[in-house]
Amino acid sequence: MKQFVVIGLGRFGTSISRALTAKNFEVLAIDRNEERVKEIEGIVSQAVVVDATDEKALKELGIKDFDTAIVSIGENIEDSIMVTLLLKELGLKQVIVKAHNDLHAKILQKVGADRIVFPEKEMGEKIAESLASPRIFDYIELSTEYGILEIITPKKFCDKTLSELKLREKFGVSVMAIKRKMPYTKADGSPDFKEEIIVGPGGSDEILQGDVLVLLGKYKDLNKIENL
Amino acid sequence: MSDNKNDYADLLELSEFYILSQKYEEAIKILKKAQKLNNRDPKLYYNFGIAYEALNDRDKAINMFRQALSLDAKFKAAQEHLDRLIKG
Repeated sequence: MKQFVVIGLGRFGTSISRALTAKNFEVLAIDRNEERVKEIEGIVSQAVVVDATDEKALKELGIKDFDTAIVSIGENIEDSIMVTLLLKELGLKQVIVKAHNDLHAKILQKVGADRIVFPEKEMGEKIAESLASPRIFDYIELSTEYGILEIITPKKFCDKTLSELKLREKFGVSVMAIKRKMPYTKADGSPDFKEEIIVGPGGSDEILQGDVLVLLGKYKDLNKIENL
Repeated sequence: MSDNKNDYADLLELSEFYILSQKYEEAIKILKKAQKLNNRDPKLYYNFGIAYEALNDRDKAINMFRQALSLDAKFKAAQEHLDRLIKG
């Protein structure tokens, strides 16, 4: 099983540690702040108070045996660069680092970071996108030409089957999945629903009010659906 | 007055029938009629919330679940939907 070490237990580091643990991975969580370590103790496999810029301490922890390190040092850019360099020198296969700005990212790349993430920037862009187009739930870029769009069904598609809609012929897009809220009556008689996903729907599947379509296609074709 | 009560209960039930038939827009039309007869029932706003949420109209759904909770602060299902919408 893959083993992860998370260095820096601010909001980002803590949430990654929790999420990886929830996926049953082994996680060693490190911070120099005792309180932050205490907060996550008992949740992850191991949590220790260590100054990650201390090479000797990292060696003692057997860091090089981990598969992936996530460096999420918030407050100090210099420390984040130094820790990244140390981890690569110790022979870690994959080092993922949270960057604060483009210059920080450039330096991280030079010292050998394998992947650089901008959580605030990426999340900000996603939220801006969803505010600009409230009907779009998600947008994934697959290549410079193709993407996946998760969109609320345009009204004119409702109550029609996929073979009637002919989305591939008319728009050049494929329906990968339909997300549908399936209503039911609860024990107390009130209505509720649970979400179901119809994967790879067929021609006889009907589109209903409230469905969310997961579409694959070229950007220019997806845009046409977006603007319906 | 008692006629009104019966009419209201019928309309609320009809809205539930439409929700279960995945005809959410029709459910909303019926709920708007019901609201004219009784605008103090948390269940009315809960059903509104469910229909709007099913239509992915997040803002209206949030508003409706909040109204349900303002009339019944212990309305667990409304609270659960509201939490999910806000955190999602």
